[in-house]
Amino acid sequence: MNKGIIITLPRSDYVTEYISQFSNGIIQEAIKKNIKIKELKDKKANRKEFEILVKSLDYRMIVFNGHGSDKSIEGHNEVLVECGVNDSILKERITYARSCNAGKVLGKVCMKDTKNGCFIGYELPFMFYVDKSWISTPKKDKIAPLFLEPSNLVPISLIKGNSASHAHENSKKQILKNINKVLRKGDEESFLFATALWNNYIGQVIYGNIESEL
Amino acid sequence: MSKEIQKKIKELVITKIEAHMPSNLKLSIGSYGALTKEEIIEHIEKEDEIGQQIVKAHMSFLKAVANGEFAKRMVSVENE
Repeated sequence: MNKGIIITLPRSDYVTEYISQFSNGIIQEAIKKNIKIKELKDKKANRKEFEILVKSLDYRMIVFNGHGSDKSIEGHNEVLVECGVNDSILKERITYARSCNAGKVLGKVCMKDTKNGCFIGYELPFMFYVDKSWISTPKKDKIAPLFLEPSNLVPISLIKGNSASHAHENSKKQILKNINKVLRKGDEESFLFATALWNNYIGQVIYGNIESEL
Repeated sequence: MSKEIQKKIKELVITKIEAHMPSNLKLSIGSYGALTKEEIIEHIEKEDEIGQQIVKAHMSFLKAVANGEFAKRMVSVENE
């Protein structure tokens, strides 16, 4: 297996547009650390291209941005990985899935009997608030980073050489720090933000070999 | 859980959203898209899948505050 990352960047709706655009920090960190990163953008985030790249590049880490369910993760309007169909391609890799619910079943199943693989994801729907004034220019949104930057810390910590366990904890700790920040501000919406951040905190799960490194 | 208690829980979450969600915000939850305040309330009223997920998230937070789990976790990062 080769040291490198495949990252999916679908843009089929506002949600995937946001999480894909906010993945830029992950890509920049990989470039900074001279780690190869292959981006699967827009319609290229389809199952055929994904499977070909996983097999040909054989990169150690996969970062998914996309909708999810208990048993699957999507790309651009298409399922990329599904329990009992092709989940075995994740078995010995480090996977971070910014996808709702995929940690509930798929994450567990694909890490069964793994030696060096690890899966970090969410067993609940991933929640974040956006400022609708910036919905067509997500990078200008000052609200969304409160939710998306802690999640970026999972792959960023791994890129920096930390273990999966450390990356997972680092990200969760940042969620708590952001809850602290919003509650201290005491704005009208603070309580709602804290609720969504707490949902992501309790929903973030890790399976497999938690000492895995990129 | 009795229907009366479920109704009260629903009312509590709706009150919270009505009081705290400014009109410039949208909530992104899973594949349901980005929802306005009015859409969120409508889903909760209808008790559909999205509405139930939102109520669950609010109740999990309130439960964590009530049983001390939230305070315990927050103390761990307070001085960092």
